[in-house]
Amino acid sequence: MGISNSLRAGVQASLFCLLGFALGAQGQTILIKDARILTLGDQGTLENGDLLVRDGKILQIAEELGDVAAELIIDGRGKVVTPGLIAPSSELGLTEIGAAASTNDGAVVEQSIGAAFDPVVAFNARSTLIPFNRAGGLTRAIVLPASEEKIFAGQGFAIKLTGEFDSVTDRQLVQKVYFGEYGAQLAGGSRAMAFTQLESALQQAKEYSDNRDQIRRGQWRELDFTLDDLEALQPVLRGEQRLLVSADRASDILQLLTLADTYQIRPIIIGAAEGWMVADQLAKARVPVVVDVLGNTPDAFEKLGARMDNAALLHKAGVTVAISGPGYAGSHNSYLSRQAAGNAVAYGLPFEEGVRSVTANVAEIFGIDGGVLAPGGAAELVVWSGDPLEVTSFAELVLIDGKPQSLVNRSTRLRDRYLHPKAGTGHGYKN
Amino acid sequence: MRLSWKVVKSPQRRWHCPLVMWGALMASVVLTACGGEDKETHSDGPDFARLGDFPSTYQPDEAAPVLIRGATVLTGTGEKLLNTDLLLKEGKIAAIGDNLKAPKKGLVVEGAGKWVTPGIIDVHSHLGDYPAPSIESSQDGNEMTSPNTAQVWAEHSVWTQDPQFALALAGGVTTLQILPGSANLFGGRGITLKNVPGRSVQDMKFPGAPYGLKMACGENPKRVYGGKGSLPSTRMGNVAGYRQAWIDAAAYKEKWENYHINGGDAPDRDLQMETLAGVLNGDILVHNHCYRGEEMAIMMDIAREFDFQISTFHHAVEAYKVADLLAKNNVCAAMWADWWGFKHEAFDMTEANIAIVDQAKACAMIHSDSAVGIQHLNEETAKAMVAGQRAGFEIQPRHAVTWMTRNPARALGIDDVTGTLEKGKMADVVVWSSNPFSVYAKAEQVFIDGVLMYDRNNPARQPHSDFELGILDADGERLPEGGER
Repeated sequence: MGISNSLRAGVQASLFCLLGFALGAQGQTILIKDARILTLGDQGTLENGDLLVRDGKILQIAEELGDVAAELIIDGRGKVVTPGLIAPSSELGLTEIGAAASTNDGAVVEQSIGAAFDPVVAFNARSTLIPFNRAGGLTRAIVLPASEEKIFAGQGFAIKLTGEFDSVTDRQLVQKVYFGEYGAQLAGGSRAMAFTQLESALQQAKEYSDNRDQIRRGQWRELDFTLDDLEALQPVLRGEQRLLVSADRASDILQLLTLADTYQIRPIIIGAAEGWMVADQLAKARVPVVVDVLGNTPDAFEKLGARMDNAALLHKAGVTVAISGPGYAGSHNSYLSRQAAGNAVAYGLPFEEGVRSVTANVAEIFGIDGGVLAPGGAAELVVWSGDPLEVTSFAELVLIDGKPQSLVNRSTRLRDRYLHPKAGTGHGYKN
Repeated sequence: MRLSWKVVKSPQRRWHCPLVMWGALMASVVLTACGGEDKETHSDGPDFARLGDFPSTYQPDEAAPVLIRGATVLTGTGEKLLNTDLLLKEGKIAAIGDNLKAPKKGLVVEGAGKWVTPGIIDVHSHLGDYPAPSIESSQDGNEMTSPNTAQVWAEHSVWTQDPQFALALAGGVTTLQILPGSANLFGGRGITLKNVPGRSVQDMKFPGAPYGLKMACGENPKRVYGGKGSLPSTRMGNVAGYRQAWIDAAAYKEKWENYHINGGDAPDRDLQMETLAGVLNGDILVHNHCYRGEEMAIMMDIAREFDFQISTFHHAVEAYKVADLLAKNNVCAAMWADWWGFKHEAFDMTEANIAIVDQAKACAMIHSDSAVGIQHLNEETAKAMVAGQRAGFEIQPRHAVTWMTRNPARALGIDDVTGTLEKGKMADVVVWSSNPFSVYAKAEQVFIDGVLMYDRNNPARQPHSDFELGILDADGERLPEGGER
């Protein structure tokens, strides 16, 4: 990245200097000049545009802003600017090491709680996963609970990847529930039971809503769910909170569409490996999907129809598609959603839609901020070294609320310590 | 996380068919092989490797010559050749150069705009042993019944109809090693396969390739057996387990060597000891699942103690910390581009891992350990290359390609016959739609021994396994014609 100020000193050095300079700055004015800007909003794509940031907001985006006074001017030639990436499904801040139970707060066992489980208070903004994913261009994420016993996992929330203690942006954003093979396993061995549990929960949540006082006083029949769980499902019933349901098999997806229609709820299907087989029905029901593009192996009987062009076919049918990081890489590599999106584009998804699937579509589906670049909006963006979906590109500058974020993380720290590994004690004294 | 795999695996190696024999190697097994038929070779010692017991029955189809014309060629020897022709004939690379004459009868691939590389080699896969779909009865990769199961052979679990083989082929993978999992200190033998359809695993076996022995450091064995209240329950328990086994194997080997020289009553055969003795005499290559720098250093000392060579540390998330030691000991490291954090020993990840190991002059490579990752090893290599460039190293595609071709061939002991585009080598070749170090690049044609085994533009040359017939659609295949797998 070229930086038009006195800090210029070669690519590597300039980046570090930039960070040193920028991190302390408040209310900074930043001008990005002559970049390809994918606003994903009303202004579309500017092939050679300027973008001005002031006081945390985007002030202007235009073909040519001319000479503007700015503390930081970035030469955007050859660079691409996009909104920051948003992970549609993660456990960021709820996990540190997968196989270290003490570092995981996403799921509970042997508890009565289901839909009411809300892990937001367990969120750890100082998790090592956050700076690493941020350096990969991820600025926001949906954080979801998981479940090992009940089909209802509980409440998901949204975060910004600033690493600040106040970085939770949306609480009780979405309810997570399992259907398909895993849901069947949790429900006792059959999809039919998982479906029954899901439907009963909605039914009884409605019953609870209609008869709250009597139920609370104990003057009602015994219900199958705790009152806390039924309370937690009220926003889902009212259509205020989306229900994120895992399902891969085409027939499972259709059952969920019927259920959603009956109860007038707003589902998001996560998985949807065979979504392409029912793409028209998904589109008609206006139900969006979160797909793992790289999950093209028929590694379960519910995924026999898995294929690389699933996202492209879904989009073509009119379904709103969000793309997650590769399932096998987990939350630690959530930012790899962009590699997945690149593959989706290689297999037929239009390029801009590919970018949208890891930014704007995620924001739209979950109803959160971010995902587009527009004057007046938050300056939450990434300056990429090139094509944002290309594996050889990388984030050169990440802004959240107009502030340049540190791109240093354990990966870069360890790299710099061991760049030329050798015998001796020296490494122990390197920062 | 399911312990089956991420958690489980490991490799190491030894060579055979070695062009380059690094390391001290003793051995002597004159493997006929390397492209020839398997035989019970072993001119001057007992036959511990027993390559002849389940001999390869792989036979490439007859194929007319192929001329790939005017492509950008990454040879896998460090060169990038522009506008270059490649002639494949009788299963071998016949010529590389300018203006090669088109064969009278044969296939001409117009290479303008295309890139050509050696076939990708994945040193670490479980296809067939953990096939798709994954169900209770398909978990055939980890004999989790004893910390030492050196007597089991991964090939005996391979379900050749695993539909994931064809997916890997579409990703340009022509050769892969199937390894047992990493639950055990000694997981068993690995097997190197050509990525071709087979009715039996023997139909897929890479002729002459040496066997691997899967070993595992760290968390997995101690968790599995510690959880059962038996040794090992600690890393130090792991090490005691390795050393005792090598002591036993050395005695077994000596007993058989004495018999070989002096005659008399033949000692009893022991399958477990046979595999370990095959390592000690250099016929079987050690593939060692090992994440931590400390543990790699210890394993290399154990190899010195018992006078064997470790081929490769697999997963090797901390290989960069000991890259100089790897170079000194001629041990390869097989790594991911950026996978981390699923367990503590995978916590100290740096994306520059492969590049740092490579720059320290050790033998570095990408590997998958994943039915998804194996389809995208070119992308994974690209990320590792860029991480190296960002670390300040001068690494270009012509060099980085060796991380997915020549170096894994070396780790498997087959680098004298495949892994590079050189005259006389097996015609294992991928024609890419563009620069393979791009997310948009696709393998368009994949040749194995000169035979067009995959053609993206011709469904008739796209293999599909028995499993895919009549699935989802009784009259069709798993995916409709033209479906992108």
